[in-house]
Amino acid sequence: MGSQYPQSVRVYLPLWALTWEVAFILLFLFFTSYDTGPLDGRNLQRYHAVFQDVAVMGALGLGFFTSSLRRFGWSSVAFNLFMLALGVQWAVLLEGFLEKSFTVTGKILIKLSSIHQAAMSAMCVLISVGAFLGKANLLQLTLTTVVEVTAFEAVKTAFRHIFNMNQHESMMYIHVFAAYFGLTVAWCFSKSLPKGKEGKDQTATSSSLFAMLGSLFLWMFWPSFNSALLGSLDGRRKAVLNTYYALAVSAVTAISVSALARPQRRINMTHIHNAMLAGGVAVGTTCHVISSPWLAMILGLLAGLISIGGVKCLPVCLNRVLEIHDTCGLHYTFGLPGLLSGITSIMLKMYHVSWTNSPMIGYVALTEIGVLSLAMAGGLLSGLLTGLILKLKICKAHHVTKYFDDQAFWEFPHLAVGY
Amino acid sequence: MRFKFPLMAIGLEVAIIILFFFYVEYETDQTTNQQLNRTNATGADRSMELYPLFQDVHVMIFVGFGFLMTFLKKYGFSSVGINLLIAALGLQWGTLVQGLLHSHGHTVHVGINSMINADFSTATVLISFGAVLGKTSPIQMLIMAIIEITVFAGNEYLVAEQFKASDVGASMTIHAFGAYFGLTVAGVLYRPRLKNGHENEESVYHSDLFAMIGTLFLWVFWPSFNSAIAGTTEGQVRAIVNTYFSLAACVLTAYAFSSLVDPRGRLDMVHIQNATLAGGVAVGTCADMKIHPYGSMIIGSVAGLVSVIGFKFLTPFFASRLRIQDTCGVHNLHGLPGLVGGLAGIVAVALGASDKSTTAMQAAAVGSSIGTALVGGLITGLILKIPILGQPSDEQCYDDSVYWEVPRWREHDRHFHEPIIHKQLEPEL
Repeated sequence: MGSQYPQSVRVYLPLWALTWEVAFILLFLFFTSYDTGPLDGRNLQRYHAVFQDVAVMGALGLGFFTSSLRRFGWSSVAFNLFMLALGVQWAVLLEGFLEKSFTVTGKILIKLSSIHQAAMSAMCVLISVGAFLGKANLLQLTLTTVVEVTAFEAVKTAFRHIFNMNQHESMMYIHVFAAYFGLTVAWCFSKSLPKGKEGKDQTATSSSLFAMLGSLFLWMFWPSFNSALLGSLDGRRKAVLNTYYALAVSAVTAISVSALARPQRRINMTHIHNAMLAGGVAVGTTCHVISSPWLAMILGLLAGLISIGGVKCLPVCLNRVLEIHDTCGLHYTFGLPGLLSGITSIMLKMYHVSWTNSPMIGYVALTEIGVLSLAMAGGLLSGLLTGLILKLKICKAHHVTKYFDDQAFWEFPHLAVGY
Repeated sequence: MRFKFPLMAIGLEVAIIILFFFYVEYETDQTTNQQLNRTNATGADRSMELYPLFQDVHVMIFVGFGFLMTFLKKYGFSSVGINLLIAALGLQWGTLVQGLLHSHGHTVHVGINSMINADFSTATVLISFGAVLGKTSPIQMLIMAIIEITVFAGNEYLVAEQFKASDVGASMTIHAFGAYFGLTVAGVLYRPRLKNGHENEESVYHSDLFAMIGTLFLWVFWPSFNSAIAGTTEGQVRAIVNTYFSLAACVLTAYAFSSLVDPRGRLDMVHIQNATLAGGVAVGTCADMKIHPYGSMIIGSVAGLVSVIGFKFLTPFFASRLRIQDTCGVHNLHGLPGLVGGLAGIVAVALGASDKSTTAMQAAAVGSSIGTALVGGLITGLILKIPILGQPSDEQCYDDSVYWEVPRWREHDRHFHEPIIHKQLEPEL
C-alpha cells in the first residue's frame, strides 16, 4: 500500500499558500489605495447588494453545487472557498493593472465594484474545477487558480481591446471559457478508476441534497450575476427579467424532460442539478438586449433541452472516445448552454445589422464567431497548459486509487473507517 | 423540564411585553432627525438604507451562528433550535436594555438601527453558547441570555459613550467579550467526569458539512456585520473592503497552517470551519479606519495563524490544565482574534489611521471588555450552578434526545458508527 498513500503536501502547500499571501500583501502595499470618489447612500446600497449576491453565489452556491459526490463533500466545499479567496485577490490585482487609470496614477483604486468584478472572474476557476473535481489536490488547485485567472483576464482584455466589447459582454463568455478549460484539464487527468473503486464518484441521498442547496442558491442569485456589470438602468432591468424567466423555464424543462428521458419515467436528481441552471447561462451574453420575455423563455427551454440531451447522449462519446471524465457534468451545465448563448448573440447581432446596413453583415458575423472561438480556444489552450503543469512531479499528485476520497486530504479524528 | 421551562420562557416574554408597553415607541421622522443630528446629519431616509445590512446581519445570527454549531453528531437540533430561541429572546431584551441605557431611562425610539444593535447584542450570547454547547439546559441558556446581554449593554455603553473608543465591527465588545464570558461560565460549570471526552462529543461526516453551511453564510455576510453601524458612507465602504480582504487573506493562512500542523499535511475540518472566519473578527475594531487593504490583509493573516495555533495547542491545554471545556473552540474563533482586533485597533490609532479615538481609550476598551466579561461570566456561572435548572447529567451531555423528540431512525448511527460499541461512561476515580 505504501506507494498508494497520498503524498504529503505538508511543506509544499503551506509554502505556496503563504508565498502567495505575502506576495499579495506586498503588491497591495505598493499598488493599491481606496477609491476616494463620492458615493452616496443609494449607490452604496446598489453596489453592496450586487457585491453580496456575487459572494453568495461564489462561496455558497458554487461550493455546495459540486458537493454531490458521496465521499468528497468536505473537499468540494472547502477547496472552493480556498480557491475563491486566492482567485479574488489575484483577479483584483490583475484587473487593476490592466485598468487605464493605473498607467496614469500607478495606483489601483479599490472600489466595491472592482471586488465583485474580480469575484466574478475568480468564479471561472470554481466552475471549471467541477470537471476534474476529486482528482486534484489543493496544491494543484492553487496552480490552476493562478493560471486560469491569468488566462481569463488575458482573454477578457483581448475582447475589450480588439473587439471593443464592454465589461458585461466580455464577462459572459466565462462559461464557455471555464467549461472548455475544465474539460481539457480533465482530459489530461483521464485515467479510469481501478477495479473495486468505481463507486466512489457516485452520489448519495444526503450529498445530493447538499448539492441541491448550492444549486438553489445559484438559481436564486443568477439574475444578479447577469446584471452585475451592466451600466444602464434599462439594461439591468432587462437582464434581471430575462434571466429570471429563462431560469424558470429551464427548471421546469429540466424536471419534466428528465422524467421523460429515463426508462422508468422517474426524475433524476443529477439531471436537475445540471439543467436547472442552463437557462441562466444561455441568456448570459444577450440578456441586456432581448426585448421581450418570450425570447428569453425560448432560450431557457432550448438550454434545458440541450442540457438534458447532453447528459443523455454525450457521456458515451466523451467517456469512451475522448476518455474525458467530467465529474460534475460541467459540460452540460455551462459548456453547451454557453455555446448556445454565443450562437444567440451572433444571430441577434446579425439580425440587428440586417435591418440597418446589409453590407456589414458578413463582417459582424465573422467578428462574433471570432469572439466565441477565441473564448473556446483560450479555454482549451490554457487548460492544456495547466493540465501539463499539474502532471509535473512537484505537484505531488495523489494516486488514482485515492481519487474522489476525502480521506486523502482531511484528518478524520473519530471515523477513520467506513464513513 | 416540563413546567419549569415553559413557565420561565412565557414569564420572561410577558415581562418584556409589559416593559415594551411602557418604554418603547417607533421612531418617527422627527425623532430620527434628532438622533442623527447628534451624530451626523445625513437625512431621515438613511435609516431605511440600512435595511439590507440589517438583513445580512440577521442571516448571520440565525443561519450562520446556528449552523456553525451543528457539527456535533447528536446535537444538531439543539444547536439550531436553542440558537433560535436565545437569539429571539435576546434581541427583544437587547433592544430594551441598550435603548434604555442610551436614552438615559426615557422612552426608547426603535428603528432599523436599534434592530441591528439588538442583533449584535444577541451575538454575544450565541458566542458564549458555543463555549458551553451540549452541557447546559434551555432554562440555563435563557438566564444566561438575560444576564449576558445586560452586562454587554453596560460594557458597550462604557466603551462607546464614556471612552468614546472606536469599535465598529465589535471585535472587543462582542467577540472578545462573548468568548471570555462563555469561557468563564464553562470554567465554573466544569464537569470532571467529562475530562476524557464524551462519546457524543464528536462529529460525523454530514454534521461537519452542515457546520460548513454556517461557516459560509458567516464568511459571505461578515462585511455587512462590520460595516452595519459605521457612521458615514465612506466609512462603510472602507469597512466592507477591509473586511473582505481580511477574510480572503485569513482563508489562505488558515489552510496553510492547518496543513502545516498536521504530521501528514492534511487539513482539519475544525480549522477550516472556524479559522477562516477569524479574519472577520480581527479586523472588526479598525474596519472603518484608513488602514489600507494591505493592513487588513496583514490583520487577517495573523488572525488565521493565531486561530489555527489556538485550536491545535491551546484548546487541549485549556481542557486539561485550566479545566475549561470549550466545546466549539470559541476562544480560538472569537477570543484570540478579538484580542488581535483590539491590539490592531490600538496600533492603527497610534499610527494615525483614525482621529476619533486615542490609544489609551482603545486600550481601556480592551481592558473593560475582558474585565466585565470575566466578572459577568463568573457571576452567571455561579447562578447557573443552582441545581434546579434542569442541567443534563454527565451521561446526557451532547445529546438532543434529552430536550427534543428525535426521529427514532438515525441515518448517521447506522452508517457511520458500526464499529463503535456502546460504551458506558466510567466515573473518574
